[in-house]
Amino acid sequence: MDLGSLLTGTLTDTLEVSLPLFRVELALSATIVLVLLCRMLPVLRWLDSALVALGGVAFALWYAWTDLRALPGSPWSVVAAAAHPASQELFGGLLVYDSLTAYIRFLLAGFLVLYILFTKISGIPDREDGADFYTLILGSSLGMCLMASANHLLMIFMAVEMASVPSYALAGMLKGRKASSEAALKYAVYGAGAAGVMLYGISLLAGVLGTCHLPSMAAELGRIVGDGADSFYGADSAGPIMVLTLGGLMMTVGLAFKLSAVPFHFWCPDVFEGAAAEVGAFLSVASKAAAVALAVRVAFGLGWLGDATGASAAGLADVRHFSVYVIGLMAAVTCTLGNLAAYGQTNMKRMLAYSTIAHAGYLLMGVSAAVAMLGADPEGCRKAVTALAFYLGTYLFMNLGAFAIVAVLRNRLRSEEIAAYAGLVRSNPGMVVAAAAVLVSLIGLPPLAGFVSKFLVFASLVDAITKGIERPLMLVLLVIGGFNTVISLFYYLRVLKVMTFDPPPEDRVAAPAPVWLPGALVTAVVVPVVLLGIFWSGLYAYAQLAGTFAS
Amino acid sequence: MDLASQLPQLLGLAWLLPLASFVLILFFGPRMGPHGRNAAWVATAAIVTSLVLSLVAFVSWLGVHPAVAAHHGGDHGAAHAAEEAGDHAGSHGDAAAHGEQHGEQHGGHAEQPPVAYSGDWYTLYEAGRLKLSIGWYIDSLTILMFVVVTFIATCIHVYASGYMHDELHEVTDHEVHLADGSHLHRPGRFPRFFQALSLFCFSMMGILIAGNLAMVFIFWELVGICSWFLIGFYYERKSASNAANKAFIVNRVGDFGMLIGLMALWGALGTLHFADAQVPGADGQVVSKPGLFSLVRPAEAGHALRVPDGMVKFAAAEKVAATAPGEVAGKVDVWRAEGFGNWLLFIAGVGIFCGCVGKSAQFPLFVWLPDAMEGPTPVSALVHSATMVAAGVYLVGRFFPVLTPDVLLVIAYTGAITLFIAATIALVANDIKRVLAYSTVSQLGYMMLALGVGGWVAGLFHLVTHAFFKSLLFLCSGSVIHACHTNDMRKMGGLAKVMPYTAGTMLVGCLAIIGAGIPFVIGLSGYYSKDSILAQALSFSQANPRHAILYWAVAGGAFLTAFYMFRLWFMTFSGTPRDHHVAEHAHESPQVMVMPLLVLAVLAVVAGWTLPGGFGIANLLEQSRPAGTAQTAQGGFAFGQTLTLPAEHLSHEGAIHVTATVTAFATALGGVLLAATMYLWRVISPAAIATIFRPVYTFLANRWYFDELYRAMFVRPAHGLAAVASGIDQGLIDPFINGLAWVTRQVAGIDAWIDRTLVDGLVNATASATWAAGLELKKLQTGSLRQYVMFIAAGTVALFVLASMLFRSSLAG
Repeated sequence: MDLGSLLTGTLTDTLEVSLPLFRVELALSATIVLVLLCRMLPVLRWLDSALVALGGVAFALWYAWTDLRALPGSPWSVVAAAAHPASQELFGGLLVYDSLTAYIRFLLAGFLVLYILFTKISGIPDREDGADFYTLILGSSLGMCLMASANHLLMIFMAVEMASVPSYALAGMLKGRKASSEAALKYAVYGAGAAGVMLYGISLLAGVLGTCHLPSMAAELGRIVGDGADSFYGADSAGPIMVLTLGGLMMTVGLAFKLSAVPFHFWCPDVFEGAAAEVGAFLSVASKAAAVALAVRVAFGLGWLGDATGASAAGLADVRHFSVYVIGLMAAVTCTLGNLAAYGQTNMKRMLAYSTIAHAGYLLMGVSAAVAMLGADPEGCRKAVTALAFYLGTYLFMNLGAFAIVAVLRNRLRSEEIAAYAGLVRSNPGMVVAAAAVLVSLIGLPPLAGFVSKFLVFASLVDAITKGIERPLMLVLLVIGGFNTVISLFYYLRVLKVMTFDPPPEDRVAAPAPVWLPGALVTAVVVPVVLLGIFWSGLYAYAQLAGTFAS
Repeated sequence: MDLASQLPQLLGLAWLLPLASFVLILFFGPRMGPHGRNAAWVATAAIVTSLVLSLVAFVSWLGVHPAVAAHHGGDHGAAHAAEEAGDHAGSHGDAAAHGEQHGEQHGGHAEQPPVAYSGDWYTLYEAGRLKLSIGWYIDSLTILMFVVVTFIATCIHVYASGYMHDELHEVTDHEVHLADGSHLHRPGRFPRFFQALSLFCFSMMGILIAGNLAMVFIFWELVGICSWFLIGFYYERKSASNAANKAFIVNRVGDFGMLIGLMALWGALGTLHFADAQVPGADGQVVSKPGLFSLVRPAEAGHALRVPDGMVKFAAAEKVAATAPGEVAGKVDVWRAEGFGNWLLFIAGVGIFCGCVGKSAQFPLFVWLPDAMEGPTPVSALVHSATMVAAGVYLVGRFFPVLTPDVLLVIAYTGAITLFIAATIALVANDIKRVLAYSTVSQLGYMMLALGVGGWVAGLFHLVTHAFFKSLLFLCSGSVIHACHTNDMRKMGGLAKVMPYTAGTMLVGCLAIIGAGIPFVIGLSGYYSKDSILAQALSFSQANPRHAILYWAVAGGAFLTAFYMFRLWFMTFSGTPRDHHVAEHAHESPQVMVMPLLVLAVLAVVAGWTLPGGFGIANLLEQSRPAGTAQTAQGGFAFGQTLTLPAEHLSHEGAIHVTATVTAFATALGGVLLAATMYLWRVISPAAIATIFRPVYTFLANRWYFDELYRAMFVRPAHGLAAVASGIDQGLIDPFINGLAWVTRQVAGIDAWIDRTLVDGLVNATASATWAAGLELKKLQTGSLRQYVMFIAAGTVALFVLASMLFRSSLAG
């Protein structure tokens, strides 16, 4: 193969295959450039960067929507025959485009639209910081899109860092506030540590397997594990396996950091408390969605190869068994610890931080069920991924709603302490109703969206149990999940109790704040929480589409 | 658009508009203008639109089915009359030879059923044979009644918007004495009145348009409720609330019988629809499902009355069980001839009639109607004289094809007794509204009697004319009461000078009700309808000499009617004022009240006329005459004798017609003259008469002691029974229940202790344990960055150690 044909091949691949399926990321990149240009050119100074960002994101959302609809089997499809392939590697295998990619991108783009409106209404950032803020948000989102489609270890690292580094700066957005700066610093250092460990793990894996391309790695992995060492420590192949285990676990640390899974969650409460509620919303929703998608990608990518046979397939089954346990145990610990530690929190954002940790646990339960059924029961696996996708969709509204309420109340009460919400029902009944809907949905009670998503995740655990796949672990996870739902009742409802039953403080001075726009915003975010609990078939159809990637 | 689809739409809309008005006033009434003044406009607008729609329907009907002198109409040719008379004589001659117990067709030619449109709007429930639906049955009677009801209701809405003026502000009710001796002050209830009036109009039209008996029953009860609302409008007055309850309870007695009738029909026939229904059959074809009318009077039997197969089988259930299923159909005729099912049909008819007895205030349930005058006068005019109380008569007319000669005889005698008793009481009553109330009862008796002796057109004709002149009379009395602030005629007198319009229109009403007219030339509306009743009664008594008393009741009743109506008019309007206090304040009513009087007076005059083209109410009604009733029929088994129901057209024959007209004129004139002698010319002193006939006078003045009788027979025993039941309840059941409650409370106490200490303790322990765990975990979050970073390393190592321990064997394969 000469250089010419190589170049032509690369060019064709890039221009004709990859770029058309990369439109969402391109739109985001272009928006970043535009926002920066507006900031730099005095002629365009008058342009509000939030509007520019909103415009760009709207484009991205449109592309994501058309991409989603062009997938084979898409509901409400405009194209009779599917225009897009079910699965397509991009840029020579660095990225992969499939229904999961499209779904997560769509979710992220949709979230960004709502999010930019939210920040515009809540007033953080102010006009001066706008360009910086939106550049960082868009950059981070770009990284998250890549996380959802990464197919290569380098890409994974790149994407994680790209998503993380702007977040560090975002955490420190509240200039002049000590807590904010401290949060940013902690986040940055912790993130650097986690990245270091992850990079170490990646290099170990790449070193042993000789490739960074996930499917190729899986093939090699299956061969090595499948060849069978006599024991973990003993015979010849024990060494590689041990190194692989260590490498895998170290990579897990990086992912766990992004997911804020225990025991790599320490950054989370401090950052959420220190940073603005707006940043918290971004980190808890977008970051979580991308991290879950990446976890699914890596676990599926390394644990499954459609054409593996014999010893190789058995080896991969072992790998899956291993990752199911690692993910499952981490899920159980994360969920329990997140819920328990949320007890006794006095700051609403800090409580929500632990709530996101707990929800990461529920999500990881779903991931573990999905990986467990991968290969053994494709239908069940698809359903588990569907449950995850649906969960992320509803979680978007629930948590955005929660943080929006925190932000609106902060603007009015100048406080984010739970105690400050006392007796709010008398002055702001609408906001309390919205808070009730969001918090009860976070608990997972019917008829709200949170119930449906939690039900779907638990249903996939039950599915695995009835089919006898990883039965003991799944049973334990189900019990722990149920138990956690019960104990989470307490700290969510405590907030409502304070809002409704406690007498309002004597010295409350509600800042004069406009009511109309924030009210409309909260309504717009909370109404889907209620509606998705009742009419959930629409979103479920798209979640099912995302689930097809597993086949 | 053809009539079949147009009429249900027009009348359906006319029917529903008052409902809309009711709902609007119910929710927004108090906010409609100051004190809800505009509620009157809403209600009036609704009823006026209904009137217009009804008139459009009326005109459309006439366009397709013009009311001309019918085949058997009043002015038929002499040759034809002779032919009919011949037929009649023939049938009469061999009546004894007929072994048939039920109606037998005479006259020699098959009848066409009347034109009627029917269908269902909405099916409430359907399972098997059971079908409850909201539907329509529209013939000329329905449309005529729609026009009459909406027209009178319109007049009364207008009148009431003036009459109920007091309710627009704070009302001091002088008839209610509070504990401290003062009078009751309450806010006005103007919108509430019109709200009930609208609901009433809706319910009344529901009865008229109903396509089946179940729907009739629903609206039957609805008008009952409206009547209860309206009689008890001044519910703070004890007399008003008692009267409302009395009306409601007495009507329930009648409805009990009606329910029995409904059950008999439904159980045996499986349908309550009047007309045949077109329903999709098993094989997709449209088949005709017979309704009540064609079951009882099947076309193949020439619409002659016979017991339906269903009833025969129902009554002969034992024989059906003993017969092979295939042979049942063949034996039905045999069983029918043996008389099976006769009683069932009789009970069904009498049962339905029981409901009519209650609603139309017939003996023995008439006691509620005079008390119902406690309601505002417009209500008395609309509900308790012109429309609702006529619903019973209407239902008998509607249900007429199903009624056997025996049932009709029961109806005729009930009517006769009612008309006589009520007329005698009216002779001595002094309350102006009560005189009118008893006259209403008496006139309803007339209508029932007319229907009972086979005068289908006569009875319903009188219903329509009576609606006009009786509402006129009531509105006039309202006008008088409005002016005098009293109901007592003994305090009135000489009002004709101050209230010329009221006096004049009331005179027209009185003349109409006594059937005044120049014999054989022209008369007021009552002249025509009363004459036809008299003629039919005479015709019936000639055919059945044993029941000649029915005719004498009618004739005597005419005399009494003339007497008490003119007694009323003379006492109120002529002579000199008896009470100067009353007379000084008297004044003519406002225009909004006088206008309806004039309009109704015109109608009270002309409603009975037949225009040269043949257009007239009698001919219009003739279009809807039930199939099979135009001919003389015979039947009857229950009273041991075959009854002959003479065809109605026979009563227009020369001899009968002349006798009846002369009798009517003579009795009416006699009554008026006697009243004039006593109350105008004062030749005979009423007081002297009362003294001479003291026992009779007391008996009548106490209304035949019916209220006392009922109190002794029903109310007292009911109270006694209630006291016994209450005693058992308080002395026996309550202590037992209380004991049970005490035991339960003790057990619950123990249970609560267990719950509090053991269960709650466990729950609390769990809660405090998780709480403590949460606080401990909180401590882990030190906030120290150095520690956090160390935890990354420690966590990685911990993971690895854990993994190597867990997967030592499995990873090794």
